[in-house]
Amino acid sequence: MIRDLARLALLLAPALAALAAETAAPAKESAQALVEGQLPDDPARTLVQAKCLLCHSGEYVTMQRLTEKQWQATVEKMRKFGSPASDEEAKAMVAYLARYWTPDLPPLRPVLSPPPPGSAPRK
Amino acid sequence: MTLDRRRFLQSSLATAGWWLCTPSLARASGKAHLIRRSERPMNYESVRSTFTTRITPVDRFYLRNHFDIPKVDVARWRLNLHGLVEKPLTLSLPDLQRMPQVTVEAVLQCAGNGRGLFRPQVPGVQWQFGAMGNAEWTGVRLQDLLALARPKEDAAFLQYQGAERPTMDTTPQFIRAIPMAKARHADTLVALKMNGKPLLPDRGAPVRLVVPGWVGDDWVRYLSDVEVRADEPKAFYYNPGYRYPLTPGAPGAPIPADQMKPMTKVNVKSVLGSLSDGDRLRPGTHQLVGVAFSGEAGIDRVEMSFDGGKSWTAAALDGPATPYGFRVFRFPWKAEAGSYEIACRATDAAGASQPEVGVWNPGGYLNNGIDRVRVEVRT
Repeated sequence: MIRDLARLALLLAPALAALAAETAAPAKESAQALVEGQLPDDPARTLVQAKCLLCHSGEYVTMQRLTEKQWQATVEKMRKFGSPASDEEAKAMVAYLARYWTPDLPPLRPVLSPPPPGSAPRK
Repeated sequence: MTLDRRRFLQSSLATAGWWLCTPSLARASGKAHLIRRSERPMNYESVRSTFTTRITPVDRFYLRNHFDIPKVDVARWRLNLHGLVEKPLTLSLPDLQRMPQVTVEAVLQCAGNGRGLFRPQVPGVQWQFGAMGNAEWTGVRLQDLLALARPKEDAAFLQYQGAERPTMDTTPQFIRAIPMAKARHADTLVALKMNGKPLLPDRGAPVRLVVPGWVGDDWVRYLSDVEVRADEPKAFYYNPGYRYPLTPGAPGAPIPADQMKPMTKVNVKSVLGSLSDGDRLRPGTHQLVGVAFSGEAGIDRVEMSFDGGKSWTAAALDGPATPYGFRVFRFPWKAEAGSYEIACRATDAAGASQPEVGVWNPGGYLNNGIDRVRVEVRT
């Protein structure tokens, strides 16, 4: 009986591993995309784009590595600054931000750049 | 799906390889001398290799903005000085150009330089080491303008603002303040030039405040409004913004508002410019070069360690010493095969030295923990 169970486990192992990989894959892909500065597809992404990116670019979000409490405080500060998010929208945004941009996520991949035109002498 | 994942893994491995090879972007590539932290507002920090010379070239100098760069019509621009003064002033750029001009060499450093290295993390622009630079600033002494305006006896603070404005009216404007004693200091300038050339639009044209030795948030650009006051300002970016604990708390722990004070001087700091994390070197002698500075004190010594901080050896300092500028340090390192953590530690003329780890604070300010670079020496 035990031998049969072991044989069954062996037979099922590749399928279980594949299933585990399927389940794990989205999180892994998201982490990579996050380090590259992408905003993952989610109903709250549209909210972040509409309520946060009025005044600043996406890096202000994607470079942060914060706890849920810190995201809560940040969203509240931005609402005081003028972000037109309702209570419900703010709640959805905090959940989205705290789900992806966490303290254990590796830093945003930095981008090398020439100086912006108004900041350097014209050669 | 499988193919997509394979492609994804391949690109991930390529990215990981790139990341391991150049984790801190040691050197510029072509004219790409800056690391972009955010596109809007524009926040860019210098690459490490910038920090091998006393004066930082303008095109390699960091940029820090709260809002979009204002479009200033210099012909119509005026500097207004008012408040508790006998004679309010309205000055044009030619008015300022006609006054006596002085030059002061001083480091401009964002108070948040090093924020991205604090643990636990704090919100804000995640600067590493490059939100600093040293320039020669030329302009009119603020004390000369104040002498013309004649502040009244109870004048205690100077509150000021530049031409930049937030996108939304509900966002606080960038208003800062310094005490009158610093405003009247002979080295505090209304600067018209940076490294001998008129200020460029993103650098604060037509004039910016230069507050030598003090945090960069005091150095307001496109300066247009200056008010002499008796009371301490309450503008957001002065209170509660840009504050530092009176006494350090536990990392991550909140600090009551009444225990926070405005920042003034920047603290002693050094950064190695000639090497960066992940560099691979051949055995032999390598000239290590970096810069050190400290608020208003000037640098006394810089020491280097190659064994994780167990032993320290003095580096040579280029002269002359200046109170507010970068001091270049050099160390001829005889490198043998192995893995090394190279550290530099500066001590200023007042005896202050860099700590092992910067003092954590809720704003992520004034991180002057010892700079460390990990390299491999291989035959």
